[in-house]
Amino acid sequence: MATGRLKRVVNVLTVIACVLVWLAALIWFAQVAQNSEALSRLQNGILLVSFVGIAVLLLLIVGNLMHLIRDYRHHVPGARLKARMVTLLVVLTVVPLLVVYTFSLQFINRGIDSWFSVEVEEGLETALELSRSALDVQMRENLAEVRRMAQQIARSGRTDFVTELGELRRASSAVELTIFAAANDQILATSAENPSTAVPQYPGDELMFQLRQGEGGSYVSLEPITGGALEIIAAVNLIAGTPRSEPDVLLATFPVEQQLSELVGRAEASYDQYAELSFLRTPLKTSLTATLSIVLLTGLLAAVYGAFFSARRLVVPIQQLMAGTRAVARGDFDTRLPIPARDEIGFLVNSFNDMTKRLAAAHEEARSSQQQVESERGKLETILARLSTGVVSLEADMRIRTANQAADAILGVDLETHLGESLIDLAQTRPLLSQFLTVTRSHLERGDSDWREQIVLRSEVGRRILMCACAALPGERDDPGGYVIVFDDITALLQAQRDAAWGEVARRLAHEIKNPLTPIQLSAERLRRRYLASHTTDPELLDRATHTIIQQVEAMKEMVNAFSEYARTPDMEVTRFDLNDVITEVAELYRHRELPLTLELNLEALPPVEADAGRMRQVFHNLIRNALEAMEHTDQEWLRISSRYVRDEGLELVEIKVEDSGPGFLEEIVEQAFDPYVTSKPKGTGLGLAIVKKLVEEHGGRITARNREQGGAEISILLPVTGEAEDALLLSARRHDRRRERA
Amino acid sequence: MAGVESKKVSCVGFRFNHRSRWLAGLVAFVLAPHALRAQEDPGSFDIRSASVVLDSGVYYLDAWVEYRLSTDAREALDAGVALTIHLDVEFVNPRWYWIDENTGDLRQSYQLQYHALSERYIVLNLNSGEQNTFATLFSALNDLGRIVNLPLIDAALLDPTQAYDVRIRAVLSTEDFPGPLRFLAFWRRDWSLRSDWYRWQLGD
Repeated sequence: MATGRLKRVVNVLTVIACVLVWLAALIWFAQVAQNSEALSRLQNGILLVSFVGIAVLLLLIVGNLMHLIRDYRHHVPGARLKARMVTLLVVLTVVPLLVVYTFSLQFINRGIDSWFSVEVEEGLETALELSRSALDVQMRENLAEVRRMAQQIARSGRTDFVTELGELRRASSAVELTIFAAANDQILATSAENPSTAVPQYPGDELMFQLRQGEGGSYVSLEPITGGALEIIAAVNLIAGTPRSEPDVLLATFPVEQQLSELVGRAEASYDQYAELSFLRTPLKTSLTATLSIVLLTGLLAAVYGAFFSARRLVVPIQQLMAGTRAVARGDFDTRLPIPARDEIGFLVNSFNDMTKRLAAAHEEARSSQQQVESERGKLETILARLSTGVVSLEADMRIRTANQAADAILGVDLETHLGESLIDLAQTRPLLSQFLTVTRSHLERGDSDWREQIVLRSEVGRRILMCACAALPGERDDPGGYVIVFDDITALLQAQRDAAWGEVARRLAHEIKNPLTPIQLSAERLRRRYLASHTTDPELLDRATHTIIQQVEAMKEMVNAFSEYARTPDMEVTRFDLNDVITEVAELYRHRELPLTLELNLEALPPVEADAGRMRQVFHNLIRNALEAMEHTDQEWLRISSRYVRDEGLELVEIKVEDSGPGFLEEIVEQAFDPYVTSKPKGTGLGLAIVKKLVEEHGGRITARNREQGGAEISILLPVTGEAEDALLLSARRHDRRRERA
Repeated sequence: MAGVESKKVSCVGFRFNHRSRWLAGLVAFVLAPHALRAQEDPGSFDIRSASVVLDSGVYYLDAWVEYRLSTDAREALDAGVALTIHLDVEFVNPRWYWIDENTGDLRQSYQLQYHALSERYIVLNLNSGEQNTFATLFSALNDLGRIVNLPLIDAALLDPTQAYDVRIRAVLSTEDFPGPLRFLAFWRRDWSLRSDWYRWQLGD
């Protein structure tokens, strides 16, 4: 944060320094145009600095431009906005600059041209000409004076030039008179007004050249001397009176009258200045144009760079915002942007940061609550899976949403593999499910979504009674969003209740009926013994009656005994033995009867079974007797007992089947074949199969009855090899059923 | 294949023709001032001869420099612009291992000016203040170029065991131009007139 502020300060200082340098350059250029000497030495340096500055700016701009073009082509976010801003800023700055530049150039050219005019030039030339004319008069007079002096010297014929020169000078206006020997430029004599300061005027080559032109050669000229003053130099040949081959020369210097000198000097200075200015007109225009161009170019480039700079400063936060928005869209809520400045964009960025912070918090909250829901759901699933109650949830259109294992086991369908499928479609090939669905739909079609009913499902292996409850799930508006159906297999429970009821009846019967039977029988026997010999009137009747009483009481006793046997539950004596031995042993007892019986034993090798051998013996006695009794009036008596070892999903079982060729069960009673006093036979107590069932179930086994397709009945028993729990067998038996259904 | 090539060539030719007009125009525009100036006298400063004489412990320079002003310079002079000419004299100690050592230098500066009123050229020695006037530029330049007995350096200041080189050159000073002209001279090299260094060994 601190470094960022420092950087900003440095940037601002740099910009200010650049602007100052630029202004200084501008002022300097203006100075140069005004011909100031003070800064002239720096010219090259400053020009160089300007060019370096321009080059640097150009490089920066080209770099920025290339960057911008690349970004634009690659569709980098913000590039379009930046390009538009740069274009706008450049146009906004460049156009006015160019307009000002054009007008400035025109003003410069016209302004400079307006300094000059033909009239002024002519006036100055005239003034100069006038000055010359004025001086010409004096020059002519001075020359004439020198000539006069030369003639005077010639006339006098004196050789003492010095004295004569002094006299002549004093008599004339000359400030200096000198006589040269023309041959060797030797000074013969000189006389000066101020002899201490002045060195005698030396005749130049021009002067000598002109004098040599002829006898009467003369020379006169106007000489500018240091300090801007003027003097006139006049010279003539001294001819007469001298014996030399070349004439000597008289040279005189005359001052120009001070007032004239001043006036002439002023005119000359004005002319000079005007001529110089006039000459410098084009260079001045060129240099001013160039100056202006350099200043403008620098300004222009600075403006363009400034456009890039400010566009970047504006666009960068927007780009960051865009990147941040995308990050948020991707789900990264931890994005925080640096706040560029305390302006509107800064406010926007601040709001964005605030938003992401809140989003992150909300997201975190949602995530934790979702986790909570997930864990709740996991728990619920675990509970549902462990539940022995079947739970199925359906969509409103009867598609399966969820189902637990118990539901699979009860309905005999692996619903979990058919999640999302329609229950109606599934039910078409599954009779159990179909019956279940029929009841369910009959309720739902009536609009009854909350109901409770006991359903009886009929399968090949017997009835299954379900306690079923349905509830609607909340949905949109008044329509239910689905249904939850909860059902329990209460077959075993009902059976147990029924068995318990029968047990109670048996005990009561045994108690209430058996007790009076003995006195009845004893009384009848006593009557018989006492009165059969003595009774003479109708001894046969007595005999028959008492016999009938005794016999019927005996039968009734037998019946009550059998019944109490059914109700009795002595302790189990569990041993390990081979079930086949017991079957063979019991079957042998019936093999040698007078009746023509075909007894088939189809026994496979079995592992030793944990069971009560006595009870098992009774089971097979009852079963065989039941079969024989059923076949009493049939021609062909055929009985088959088969046993086999079954391994079903780790569960060791023994299956025993008893088949006969009798008339089979009546269709109406096949379901209740194992209930007491349910029989279709003329003989029997009606307790045989009930006792068998009771015994089998005491061993944790399961018994089913059905009619064979070829005729006759088939009773099959499934016994666990080891004393495993009944529910395990129940479960496996259901799976077994299911597989059969699939097959 | 050949047909395609010829087509290509003609296409390029057409392009060139089309562009050449612009190109020619541009070249003419850029070169026109130079072409015109090519007919003008570019001027030159040449050292024709130079020698150093030792007289009573002082080295004196005699030299003949031929000054020829460029047309531009002459025009400027006639317009009243004073031209400054430097005569640079340097004593150098030649070194094979490094750039030569400058033992002493002398700059003699002259100002050449046209006096419109008297129509004379004034040559002012800026070092001594001595002034001469001439009726023609030729004689002024001639006077300027004839250097006689210019005292350079006391022999005692030089190491007698060392061999020295003397070199001289004449330069038209652009730094002393009036502002606009000086600005122009920065861009236009033809304004800067200077002779090559004229170099010889001292004592030759």
